[in-house]
This record gives sequence, structure tokens and C-alpha cells, in this order.
Amino acid sequence: MITASLNAYIGLSAILFAIGFLGVLLRRNALVIFMGLELMLVAATLALVAFSRFNATMDGDVFVFFILTVAAAEVAVGLAIVVALFRRRGTIQVDELDSLKN
Amino acid sequence: MSPARLAFLLLAAPLASAAFTACFLRRRGGAAAALSVGVAALILAGALWLGFSGVRFEAAREWLSLGGLIVSFGFKFDDLAALMLVIVALVGFCVHVFSLDYMSEDGAKGRYFAGLSIFMFSMMGIVLANNLFMMFIFWEFVGFSSWLLINHWHERPAPCAAAKKAFITNRVGDFGFLLGIIMCYWIRGTVNLTDLAVQSSSGFAIYSRAIPLLLFCGAIGKSAQLPLQVWLPDAMEGPTPVSALIHAATMVAAGIYMLCRIQMLMVPQALEVIAWVGTATALYAALCAVTQRDIKKVLAYSTLSQLGYMVAAFGLGSVEHRLDNGETILVAAGVGAAMFHLTTHAFFKALLFLGSGSVIHGCRHEQDIFRMGGLARRMSFTYVTFTFAVAAIVGLPFFAGFFSKEAILALAFSENRAIFAILAFTAALTAFYMLRLWRLVFLGKPRSASAEHAHESGFSMKAPLAVLAGLAVFGGMRRLYPSGFAGVLGWALEPEGSARAAVLSTSLVVLVGGAALALILYSSSAIGRAGATAADNYLRDPLESGFPRLFGALVTLRDSFDTAYEYYIEKIQQRLAMLLNFVDLLGIGGLVRSVAGMVGLAGLQARALHVGRLNVYVYWFLAGVAVLWAFAAGIL
Amino acid sequence: MFNALFVFIAVFTVVCALGAMLSRNTVDAAMCLLLCLAGVAGLFVALHAFLLAFLLLLVYAGAVVTLFLFIIMLIDVRGAAVPPRRRIATAAGAAALVLVVAGLASLATRGRLSLPPPPPGLPVGESLKAYAELLFTTYLLPVQLIGFLLLIAMLGVIALSRKAP
Repeated sequence: MITASLNAYIGLSAILFAIGFLGVLLRRNALVIFMGLELMLVAATLALVAFSRFNATMDGDVFVFFILTVAAAEVAVGLAIVVALFRRRGTIQVDELDSLKN
Repeated sequence: MSPARLAFLLLAAPLASAAFTACFLRRRGGAAAALSVGVAALILAGALWLGFSGVRFEAAREWLSLGGLIVSFGFKFDDLAALMLVIVALVGFCVHVFSLDYMSEDGAKGRYFAGLSIFMFSMMGIVLANNLFMMFIFWEFVGFSSWLLINHWHERPAPCAAAKKAFITNRVGDFGFLLGIIMCYWIRGTVNLTDLAVQSSSGFAIYSRAIPLLLFCGAIGKSAQLPLQVWLPDAMEGPTPVSALIHAATMVAAGIYMLCRIQMLMVPQALEVIAWVGTATALYAALCAVTQRDIKKVLAYSTLSQLGYMVAAFGLGSVEHRLDNGETILVAAGVGAAMFHLTTHAFFKALLFLGSGSVIHGCRHEQDIFRMGGLARRMSFTYVTFTFAVAAIVGLPFFAGFFSKEAILALAFSENRAIFAILAFTAALTAFYMLRLWRLVFLGKPRSASAEHAHESGFSMKAPLAVLAGLAVFGGMRRLYPSGFAGVLGWALEPEGSARAAVLSTSLVVLVGGAALALILYSSSAIGRAGATAADNYLRDPLESGFPRLFGALVTLRDSFDTAYEYYIEKIQQRLAMLLNFVDLLGIGGLVRSVAGMVGLAGLQARALHVGRLNVYVYWFLAGVAVLWAFAAGIL
Repeated sequence: MFNALFVFIAVFTVVCALGAMLSRNTVDAAMCLLLCLAGVAGLFVALHAFLLAFLLLLVYAGAVVTLFLFIIMLIDVRGAAVPPRRRIATAAGAAALVLVVAGLASLATRGRLSLPPPPPGLPVGESLKAYAELLFTTYLLPVQLIGFLLLIAMLGVIALSRKAP
């Protein structure tokens, strides 16, 4: 079927992680930043599964369970915060959410 | 109880009394007085037992150990210390009892008696000390007690200034003293008195003129020799019993005592300097005393003069003495003569001061002798005791002062004729001004209202006068002293042969001459002829009106030191102090504030990092990741 | 080594990820994320982790991205003016890009992750029973903690989304 080296999977995971991180870095819409975070998590899960497959163990796979759950919880809470912020400030551009300045 | 324990108890008791009074008995003057007098009695009993029973000991305990330096706290109780302890205890007790009546109406009695107790503690520390460091510590304590007691009536400006002057002048002398101690430790390796004696007797290699002269600086300050004598006349601002105890009998004698303690460090050149300083002081003070009007100031200058005698005697050094079996040995005649005169001086000077205190008290705090007079009939007890004291100080034969002065003059006759001549002239001056004082205060007719209504003092003031009068009469007879003190008093030699005749005749001639001059010059008719200035019954001194230029010269001489010092302080020292103040404010203050400013600046910059925007924090995160990666890759 | 199918799925995933991060429109971004997740699920299948692929699609794509879309519909204001990018942002972006490229380059040149190809036979990740065994024995504590975490998250969300009184 598909035979690719471990290096390929890891490289791909790195690229996805980097794209997610650049998104967090450069986008100013809070929701898009969140999507970048999710992308980073997914990249991590890919790496985990690849390692566990190539080492013929199950531990990496099981760990992905936990990552999935945590990601879901985090998204829920984070989006609730974003909604509350939007109700207060009327904006979700992180540039303008600087009331903690100085 | 071992003697060392007893000595420690004698030292600790007045300290405890002072502490207790300071904490609890400030308002309760009567209780403080009783406590203090009780402790003084205890000290007298202990000192008499220790001195007369012949027990002599040395005891020490290590107190401070810093590297190679060991400061110990110990007692060296030899004949010299025994004699001094008895003097201090005796005079101290008399003064304590006298103060009960003299200070009875004073508002701050508690503070006064606490000060007296602290003084007793400090003075006994000096007497008992076995090493120079300990002596220096108690030296400073004595200076502090003196400041405290001069300053007793601190509501007035004059006592405050006088106390400051006393303390600062003492401090100048103590600076030299400290340098001497350090140098002694450096060169000799020890400051323990016994060790130093052992070293000197077995021939110490290094010859040092600086050590004894620097240590003498301490005596110059404490015993008010030239040029640091300016504080003693001003110190008369304190209460009269304080003047009697501290500035006549004991504290000023501490300088002499210290010199006797360090006699093993002396070298001939240093001794010569010391002798001349003492002689100059004796002459100068006697000249100043001639013009004084205040009874206490006359006595203060007289004290200065007698201290000069003692220092000169010490400086004349040792003589060869032929023993009965024909050998000659070297005897420390200087130490003996000085200590003998110190003993008799303590008795008759304390008596003079307490007598003057009685007079002042009786005349309702009048201190100008030209406003007294005729007190012989009104205060007869004081008159009799005061007369004994005057007889002792001028050297009337068979009174105490005669024998001690004879010892000093004999020593001077055999060692240094020039000093002998000056000391003899000073003796004439002493006779002159003491007789002048005696004549003006007690004889003739009362010259003011307060003298007319003078009354005799109470028992607690008369009793010490009686005790001291007895000592002034019999204190010169060395055979009456116990053999325990022979180690010191035995060194004061009596002159023999032709020297004896010369000394005796000289002292009698100067005595009669000075006394006669005084009685003639200050007869009632002479005083009447001198006239008075209209204001306030200010009677003129016959000397002033009869020999105005001489009088003026003497007054200028008296004020010269004070004027010189004031000029120095105002023009030179004050300006330096202002300059240093400026440097401190600008330089050091500026340095500290600039450091604080830099910290503030750093804080401001750190604050600028708190942007509040999420992106920026992510940039910092990126930077952190980059640094970590550089570490991991081995680049950093 | 490189299989055409793998390359296709990989490129697809990367392109969708880029689209998710770069699109101006938030809904477009969410849709691209969805497609990206589908690609990753395909990669999981290639790694024989079938359960995980399924779970990814169910939980992530099904629940999380749907939640995203809900919120986007709720609050994303259309036509909001986008202020120009600051210079520091450009610099940081450039720096991150450099790091990424350097990282990939070092992986390619110095990466020593050459392991023998996976053994034939039943790959362990295929069996659901194996998952269950591990979850309920070795990893029981994390499971409990995750449950607790979910409870707290639920409470938090409820607290946060109450209307201010």
C-alpha cells in the first residue's frame, strides 16, 4: 500500500506544525489563531502515530486519544472566552484587545 | 570570698546601682540617693579591707580574641592600685554624703546620683585595669561620666558648652593615647602591664620615644596639662561635689596614675619632655589663679597647678639611693613623689572644694569672692576645716602638703635645678593666691547681703569636711600608712644632709613671702581703696587697681589659649567641615541617588514590555524557541 | 520510499493547511481546516491507525470544526477593516520562516530516523480490543483525569457564557 519512510511523516508533521505556528504568529483574528492552534495539535498527533507505528507499539496511539479530548475541551472553553470578549469589547482582533497594556 | 571576686563586686555594684537608678528611680531622687550612698559605703568598706589587709593579686579573663590580638578583662592589684583604690573610695564616699544635703533641693537628683555611680564604676575600672586596652575603655567611660555630670543643669547653655568642651578636649588627648596603645602593641607585642614590666626589666631591644610620649597625650588630656588645660576651668559649671570628686581628686589624677602604671615604658628623653610640660603647666596655672574672682575657678586653676607638680615630679624620674648597708639602688622616686602628692592633694583639694561648696550653699549660691567676707564667725566649722586645707596646700610644716611638696622639691633639687627654681616660684604663687582666697572669703567684714546672712551647713555636709580635715592634717605622715602601701610611698625619698636644709629653707621662704604679700595686698583698707564700680556692687580687685598693667597681662595670659582655640575652630575647622558636608551631599549622596535612578530606569524599560497585545507575546515565544533550538543545536 | 498516493495526500494536506491560515474569509479558513483534517485522517489510515482516523473525523472534524463554524456565524463581523500589518509582524514572520526552513533542512541532511520498514502482519493499531486493553489498564489514571478535565471544561463554558447580569 503506502510505504513511506518515517522521515517523510516527521517532515510532514513539522511542516504542518510550522504552518500552524505561523498562523498564530501572523493572524490577528482570534478565531483564525485558534484554528492555527488546532493545526499544531493535529501535527503533533500525526508525529505520535507515525512513531508508534514504526516502533511497533501502541502507546503513541493511545496518547492521541488524550490529545483529542484535551483539544476539544480547550476549543470549547477558548471559544466561550472569545464570545464573552466579543460581547464586552465588540471586537476579536487581538490588536485591539490590549487593555492589559502597561 | 576571694579578693578577685571582691574586686569584681566593687566594680559591678556601682554599675548595677546606676542601671537600676536609670531604669526605675529617675523620679524618686531620695531612693536613688540612698542607693548610691549605700553602694559608696560598700565600696569604701571593700577598698579599705583590700588595701589595708595587704592582699595583692592579679586575675584576668580573656574577653575578646581577634586573630592574634587578645583583649582581656583583668585586675592588677598591686600597691599602686591599692593606694589609688583607697583614695577613690574614700573621697567618693565623702562626696556622696556631702551631696545628700547639697543637692537636696535639686529636681534631677536621680540622674545626678546615677552619674556619680557610673563615675565610681569607671574610675575603679581604670584603677584595677591590668592592660592598656581595658584602661582605655574605662578612660572613655570616665570621660562620659564627666560629661554627664558637668552637664547636670543642662537647661542653661553654659554647662552644655562646658561639657562639650571637656569631652572634646579629652578626646583630642585620647587620640594620642590610642595611637600610643596601638604602637605599644605593634612594637612590643603586648599591652598587658605585667608582661610589659617583665619585658622591660629583661632588656627590650627596641628603643622607642614615641610610645611613652603618645601615651602621655592621654594624660595631657585627662589631667589637663598644657596645651589641653582649657576644659578644667570651664568644668566648674557642674555642681560643686562633682568638681570635688572628679575635677580635683580622682578623674584628673587618673592621668598621673596612668603615667605611674606605664613607667616601665619611659625613656629619658620622654621623661624630660614630661617634666617640662608639667612645670610649665604648674607655673601657667598659678599665674592664672592670681586674677580669678570666682571661688571655684581659683580652686580649678590651683588643681591645674598641683597636677603640673605631679607630672613634673614623675618626669624627674628615678634617682640613685644609698641604702643603709652602703649599696646604691635605682629607686623610682618620681613615681613615689607623684603618687604621694596625689594622695595628699586628693584629700586637701576635695576638702577645699567641699568647703567652698559649703560656703556657696551658705551664701545662697554666691560665687564671687569679693562679695563674701566675714564668714569666719558665721560658718565657723567650715572656716576651721578650710583653714586646715589651705595650710596643707601651701605647705605649712607638718600638714599633709608639706611632706609631699618637700619630696617633689627635693627630687627637683637633686635632678634639675632649673625646674626646682620654677617650682619654688610656683609654690610662692600658690601661697599668694590661696591666702588671698582665704582672706577674702573668711576674714574681714561681710561685703554683701548674702554673706551677712550666711548660715552653717547641716550634718551631712559637715561630716565629710571633718573626715577630710583629719586626713589633711595627718595624711602626710608616712609612718601612719600601713606597710601595704610601702611599694609606692616608700619610693618617695626624703632629702638628706645639705639638700634637706636647702629645700626646707626654700619652701619656708616662699611660703612666708607669698602669704605676707597676699595679706598685705588684700587687707580691708586695700580693698576699700580699690573702689568699686557703681553697678551691682562689683568690687575691684586691689591688684587690678594697683598694678593695672600686670593684671592686664595676667588676664591676657589666662585667655590666650581659649582665644587661640576659638580662632582655630571658627576659621579653619568649621570651614573644613562645611567643605566636607558639601562633598558628602553632592558626591556621596549623588552617587547613591544615581544608582537608585538607574534602577528606576530599568524598571521603566521593563514596564514597556507589557504591551497587552497577544501577538507580541507570541513573538517572545518564538524568540524563546529560537534560543532553545540554538542551545540544542550547539550554536550557543 | 515515496509512494504517489502518500505524496498526493501529503500535498493536499499542506495546501489545505496553507489555505486555512492564509484566507481572509474566516468561513473559508474553517472549511480549509476541515479538508486538512480529512487529509490527516487519510494519513492515519496509511499508518494503519484506523480507529484514530475515524475518531479524528468524528471528534475533530465533526465536533470541533462545527463549533468553530457556529461561533464564526455568531460573532464574525463582515466587512471589518483590517489594519495594515506592522513591521514587527513581518520581521517575526520572516524569522519563523527561516527557522522552519532551517529545521527542515537539518532534518533532511542530518535526520537519522531510518528505521527498518514496519513488519508485515497485523499491525497493532488495527485492533480495537488492543486499544481498550491499554486504556483500561495501563492508562486508566489519565482516562480518569481526562474525564475530570472535561467536567471542568463544561462547567467553565457554562459559567463563561452566561449573559452578564
